Amino acid sequence: MMTIMESSAPLLKLATKQKAFVAIVGMLVLMLFFDTNFYTTYNLLDMLNSTSILLILAFGVSLTVISAGCDLSIGGIMVVAGIIAIKLMDVMPMWGAILCALVFGAFVGFVNGFLVVQQKTEPFIITLGMGMLLTGVAQQLTDARPVPASNPDFMIIGNGDFFGMPYLVIIMLVCFALAHWLMRYTQYGRNLYAIGGDYEVALYSGIDVVRTKWIAFVISGAGAALAGVLLSSKLNTGSSIYGETAALIVNCGVVVGGTSFAGGIGGIPQSALGLLVFGILDNAMNMLGITSYIQILLKGAIIVGIIWMDCFYQKRKRELV
Amino acid sequence: MKKNIALLGQSFLRNYVLIAILALIVVTMLVEPNFMTFANLINIMRQFGPLVMVSLGMTFVIIGGFIDLSVAGTISLVAVVTVTLIDPIGQVPAILVGLGVGALCGYVNSLLVLSSGALTQAEALFITFGMSTVYSAIALMYSGGSTKHMRFLKGDTSVIEALGQGSVGIFSVSFLVFLVCLAVLWVFQTQTRMGRAICLTGGNKTAAHLCGVPVSRSIIAIYTISGFMAAIGAIILFSRITTASPVIGAGYETNAILAVVVGGTTLKGGKGSVLRTVMGVLLVILMSNCLNLLGVTPYMQVVTKGAILVLAIWLDNRTQI
Repeated sequence: MMTIMESSAPLLKLATKQKAFVAIVGMLVLMLFFDTNFYTTYNLLDMLNSTSILLILAFGVSLTVISAGCDLSIGGIMVVAGIIAIKLMDVMPMWGAILCALVFGAFVGFVNGFLVVQQKTEPFIITLGMGMLLTGVAQQLTDARPVPASNPDFMIIGNGDFFGMPYLVIIMLVCFALAHWLMRYTQYGRNLYAIGGDYEVALYSGIDVVRTKWIAFVISGAGAALAGVLLSSKLNTGSSIYGETAALIVNCGVVVGGTSFAGGIGGIPQSALGLLVFGILDNAMNMLGITSYIQILLKGAIIVGIIWMDCFYQKRKRELV
Repeated sequence: MKKNIALLGQSFLRNYVLIAILALIVVTMLVEPNFMTFANLINIMRQFGPLVMVSLGMTFVIIGGFIDLSVAGTISLVAVVTVTLIDPIGQVPAILVGLGVGALCGYVNSLLVLSSGALTQAEALFITFGMSTVYSAIALMYSGGSTKHMRFLKGDTSVIEALGQGSVGIFSVSFLVFLVCLAVLWVFQTQTRMGRAICLTGGNKTAAHLCGVPVSRSIIAIYTISGFMAAIGAIILFSRITTASPVIGAGYETNAILAVVVGGTTLKGGKGSVLRTVMGVLLVILMSNCLNLLGVTPYMQVVTKGAILVLAIWLDNRTQI
């Protein structure tokens, strides 16, 4: 029994650490056996394009999760920021309206940071409440109806392309590079890992823990606002309904990638892989003609399975210590 | 003198729900004389039904130091299963099967939480969110996505109609069901060994385990109770609105958490009471009733609820320190 446990340990470690990569390779191999349009440049690019907004959300959220927090208000920030951008476009130039939306997102992130970091509340439920509040704000602003954009140039951001490469994908790649640089090559990123790894040790090492973690929430809010603006631009409307499940899906996607809620491990590339699992899954299931109810079921089951594995891995780690 | 003020402040923080309820009632009575009419009071009593049941179940989960987002999916599943079974097997067996399905959903949640070794609220939050998606998907698949109307049923639905519309004296039947459930759960929480075990589990799982408290059985108990109470809530809900749609439960999970936290049960676990939850539910229902009478849009009510949730968690956190 003991030898089985010992020999299965590296396998378990591989499966839990690289589960997103394993899942992606598995899905890509599986799709080879079906005669669909999955392996066409058009489809793969389209898949990347439609996952871009979730990916941009995930980069900000990764920062909060790595520092042992979490941000479930991103869905609310996303829809409200999108609506703000579209509404303000009537009274000010387009870039001004977009800037206002980003400032709004950063402000909500600032409030989240105040409540979670400065006041030390549990991040999960308080950001869930914040998301609920913002969903209400979005419904109030739009009367729960979609609002069309008045400026035709606005649509180009979300739908245009640069020599065949959609702007959304380019913006996503820029965000990816920025976030990765921030986490991998700056002192700020290393400090965030330290805080997530052990809050007390980080504090006694002289890191300004409150400010560092607070900034992570502000970045997450601003990132969510950017995603909201892009979503509005892609659909050319502002609507209050898109944010409902985005928050939980993105947070799960981040964990799927290998960033743990315990904090201190993970990274931006891992989160990107985690969200791509959901993107590829959506696309592949549509290609195979799986009905939407079964799609929902499979997604739920995958979320449960992967979070289960994450918890189990944490338990094993605790027992080893 | 200083001590007296401190005591006053403490008792205010402990009873702020009661004070808020009284203030709300007084303000609404002054502004809107229709509030104290008999019809409105009956209306409030009827609205009490589903939410209070779900919240009572949620109370145990939160006292036990976990959280249950799956009640939304459970309610939807139980509602469609019960309605479709009325014709083939009769109404009372259908209700019993519905309650069984609810308890089973809760039991499955508890097994997932236990087997993964999840210790924190965050881990339980994401596992139960995933399970909520799974249960909703099963409800959608089972019903084919269509809404079931009770008036199209051929079988006898007298018991369900009585539950929804009937009254004994001035009390509605659903209110009496609530009183029975409250009494049973209150005795369970305060007088039985299991009730105390749940409190101890919520206080500190490791310490409880080392002291010989049956932690695993407590976790099974809290989730099964939560699922079972959600099932009762589901049956009362569709008996009142006479239709069962596969998305009927959406939003109940956040409202139940709101009611429990506003009532004063701390999210940190280990402390709380079902009676406090009843006060919390009363506050939430009175609030939406008052806001309705004052002509506030339903969207603004979502904003208010979100704001109160954030505020309540923040206050809860401050009183703990």
